[in-house]
Amino acid sequence: MRRLVQALLIAAVCLFAAYAARAAELSAPERVSAGTGATLHTRGSGEATLWIIGPASVEKKQVRLGEDVNLQPQSLRIAGRYLAIVRQGAATDSAWFEVLPAAPANVNFLARPSRVPVDRRDVISGVAFVLDAYRNLVLEATPVRFSLSVPDAPAVTRIESSKLGIAWVRLDSTRKQGAAQFIASAGDAEVRRVVQETASDPCNLRMRATSAGNHIVVETDPVRDCSGNPVPDGTIVTFTQVDAKGRSTVDARVKKGIARAVLPSSDNATISVASGVVLGNEIHLGGGQ
Amino acid sequence: MKAGLRALAVITAVAWLAAPIARAADPVREAASGGIKVEFNSTGVGPREIEDTTELAIPRDYAAAWNALETALSQNRADILDSGFVGVARERLAQRVADQKKTGLHVRYVDHGHQVRAVFYSPEGSAMQLRDTVSYDLQVLDGNKVIHSQPVTETYIALMTVTEDRWKVRMLEAAP
Repeated sequence: MRRLVQALLIAAVCLFAAYAARAAELSAPERVSAGTGATLHTRGSGEATLWIIGPASVEKKQVRLGEDVNLQPQSLRIAGRYLAIVRQGAATDSAWFEVLPAAPANVNFLARPSRVPVDRRDVISGVAFVLDAYRNLVLEATPVRFSLSVPDAPAVTRIESSKLGIAWVRLDSTRKQGAAQFIASAGDAEVRRVVQETASDPCNLRMRATSAGNHIVVETDPVRDCSGNPVPDGTIVTFTQVDAKGRSTVDARVKKGIARAVLPSSDNATISVASGVVLGNEIHLGGGQ
Repeated sequence: MKAGLRALAVITAVAWLAAPIARAADPVREAASGGIKVEFNSTGVGPREIEDTTELAIPRDYAAAWNALETALSQNRADILDSGFVGVARERLAQRVADQKKTGLHVRYVDHGHQVRAVFYSPEGSAMQLRDTVSYDLQVLDGNKVIHSQPVTETYIALMTVTEDRWKVRMLEAAP
């Protein structure tokens, strides 16, 4: 009889221990998508305290064990790992779950530089950060479309797959100057930047000289780059005259596509023209030439 | 015996001479800040090639950012975040600190180190993305009572950007 009582007592203690051990039990979905909400399952009975600790939030609430706990979509907008802790008296249970980024909805786009000469290789770079509606970086590979175009010229388009939320591209500047539209798009999100493509260095610089009384007027043909784009007004063109008296130099700005200067007259002179590192033609005046 | 000693001397000399060369070629940099150890590997990062100064600055500043994060979440002080975080990352951590204060919670980290790999360095040199595998012991305290404690290993994707005087973390997201 005594043994039977002992056995019953031991069984009761075991049952109580098992009950106490599961006094507060918690389970969570392994992962949910950002902004969709989730349900936590609790086991046990009575009131308990629940904490949800996320990357950017902490929630504390009283729950009734044995009932489901619904987490609202707005509580789970930030991607990352969440820790749920339930505590009743000294009994605690916990569960981790992941909130994954939602579908791509935004693009942050870095385009460099803002101003670039035409017809240069790999001078324009674009970096796109693919984000969901809650500014989480979408880590899954996503196709990102980059497009660069200037008015009246075909667009250059490249599609790159993002890696860990980032896609990038390096493009040549176009042969035509103008305000290039540089666009990055992922899903329905599209971001536009403007890259001002300017004429490159002058090319085939040519001038002519005419005598006008006691001085010489030198004037260039319309100054263009090698792609035929007129160089911007204000570009400096240097005329140099060398004769028996020495060297005279005049810096003239391109105005309406043409640079013009007045040099002192000379019986025998050589006049040259240059812009930056680009040399143009030479003209010899007098001396039978 | 003499020949053996000579061989030993030659091997020692070669090893001594080769050591600095091997160190120079070692792609892993180490940095520490407030007890946070970061092992940084930039092998193969692109498209921009990493500069020597950047290679030193990134692990140093990333370690400092984690030091700020752990201190801020332990002491519930958002102002500490400014030294290591900007933008979205700072906003989110500041919100976490505010919520911790409101609920009377704080967390303690015992950081066991970060294995950080550079995965992207932007063409113009203003942003770098890192993949960090960190292990730490986590303690969650309600007031002074520990309500949860466990060792954690997890992977983070961090985006660091250049600010006025250092690199700071702009995004920090746990990777699945």
